[in-house]
Amino acid sequence: MIAKWIGKRVIMGTIVLIVVSFLSFFILHAAPGDPAAAYYGGNLQTLTTAEKERIAQAFGLDKPVLAQYAIWLREAITGNLGYSAKEGRAVSTILLEKLPNTLQLVGITLMILAIISTWFGLLAGMKEGSLLDRGLSIFSIASSAVPSFWLGILLMMIFSVQLGWFPSSGMSDVRGGGGIADRLHHIFLPVAVLVLSHVGIFARFLQDCVKSESKSYYVQVARANGVAEQEIRKNILRNAFIPYVNYVGVTIPSFFGGSIVVESLFGWSGLGQLLVKSVMVKDFPLLMGGVLIIGVVVVVSLFIIDVLMVVINPKLRRGVLRC
Amino acid sequence: MKSRKMLFFWLIILAIIFVSTAFSSFLAPYEPNSMDMNSIYAAPSGDHLLGTDQLGRDVLSRLLVGGKVTLLIAVVSVVISTIIGFIFGGISGYFGGVLDIVMMRLLEAFLTIPSLVIVLAFQAIMRGSVWNMAVIMGLTGWFVTARIVRSEFMRLKDSEFVHMAVMFRTPMWKILFGHLLRNSFPAIFVVTLFNFAGAIFTEVSLSFLGIGVPPATPSWGTMLYSAQTDLLVGAWWIGLFPGLIIFFTILCLQFIGEALKKQGGERSHA
Repeated sequence: MIAKWIGKRVIMGTIVLIVVSFLSFFILHAAPGDPAAAYYGGNLQTLTTAEKERIAQAFGLDKPVLAQYAIWLREAITGNLGYSAKEGRAVSTILLEKLPNTLQLVGITLMILAIISTWFGLLAGMKEGSLLDRGLSIFSIASSAVPSFWLGILLMMIFSVQLGWFPSSGMSDVRGGGGIADRLHHIFLPVAVLVLSHVGIFARFLQDCVKSESKSYYVQVARANGVAEQEIRKNILRNAFIPYVNYVGVTIPSFFGGSIVVESLFGWSGLGQLLVKSVMVKDFPLLMGGVLIIGVVVVVSLFIIDVLMVVINPKLRRGVLRC
Repeated sequence: MKSRKMLFFWLIILAIIFVSTAFSSFLAPYEPNSMDMNSIYAAPSGDHLLGTDQLGRDVLSRLLVGGKVTLLIAVVSVVISTIIGFIFGGISGYFGGVLDIVMMRLLEAFLTIPSLVIVLAFQAIMRGSVWNMAVIMGLTGWFVTARIVRSEFMRLKDSEFVHMAVMFRTPMWKILFGHLLRNSFPAIFVVTLFNFAGAIFTEVSLSFLGIGVPPATPSWGTMLYSAQTDLLVGAWWIGLFPGLIIFFTILCLQFIGEALKKQGGERSHA
């Protein structure tokens, strides 16, 4: 049963990767301009038709689109993503440079987010009707209405410009030497923005799970039988956690979307900033690579969440599938 | 009863924002692009209610006119995405079977890719006018709608009135549009509201990054784009007010959506 479930997930991931690869190839294919012209520059006008045909043949440009896609895919799988149109370096090299930075940003955000939202979600869910309960509901709606970059600007104004506590952009100080402390100092504001714009929704989701779980039959029975409140609470938490982790998994793609804005705002040199820059300067090979690798990263992180689901959800392990 | 009053409250605020931007050309106290070199970075005052920007342009006027661009993009994109979502979800939900499985796997794949990345990719290829952007966002924003339409159609197609309609040989289009669409309308409407909020977010974010609406066109996003430098010289009003109006517009949409969702839930439980 569990093998079947994992198999289903792997197939799903493969489909996503195929769609992402189509999208990436489409970017490259639909990009304005003639690839041969880009290669030969101004000399193209002096070439004869026969020579042009030979060039097209050499580059595989005369083949049908699907065949071109197959060639491209084969190269992409082996790690050859072509060369950046502006920098001239291999796209794969640039991507591998930026990837750790984005993973740091998203990883730290997720960790802090999990801790804070769990804390507030549980507290609010346990005390239905309390000030915290109602406050969290309102906060979650209000926080989801704030554009993340605007929040970023506000934090920047307060903590960088006014107070001077945190740097407003970049990843390390020129003088700082680039140690871990320096890095954490720089990552604080970007992470704060990502955390603040998600924490309300996350906590509220857990809060709702806890509330509905508290009303379930087994809790009532346990309570009627005089089971210790501590014990009941533990069981509620364990059950409420399952949909919560699933929800975190579903929202992971939006973090990579959100990191586009936050990275650009704070000059965090990751994949998001790379995407925006490549759109601005119309560096299509780089853009294609960026889209591709974000797709891969999302699929991999979803798979990790799936494994986590198996660990925390005994129903999945014992083959009682509800979904 | 209380929630109903709140619903009206948010509806009225949203209506005010919409109407004032729609009639911005009459309401704006100044020409939005006219520069006044004598009052550069003027703080909010009686002359300029929300101050002026780095070229002496009136912030309030630009806010009103810019809202027209932002909301127009959101409306057009939502109309497009709702139509596509309805067709895709409708086919998938009504016919079911293998077709449904294939379409749903495809949809899940689309939903997995960060939507901002998809819009960004398309923006790179066909960036241009305001309309281009609206169409791109429409073409890439229908995934959630499709899923909702599908689940609604799945739920409804087995209900008795649809069986009756089929039995009486009601034409297919009448079942689809007359019965199924009308009955799933509340759910579609709620998701469309949230989509609308999402579309505003997307436009504002991309324009803020400088890869959305052309920077010369006033929109809430492009205003914040140019406000970045102004904030550093202490002209907080240029960045504050566009942000606030975005916040309130989204807030209205969220509260209205939540209220409708709650009402719909209560009705279906009754």
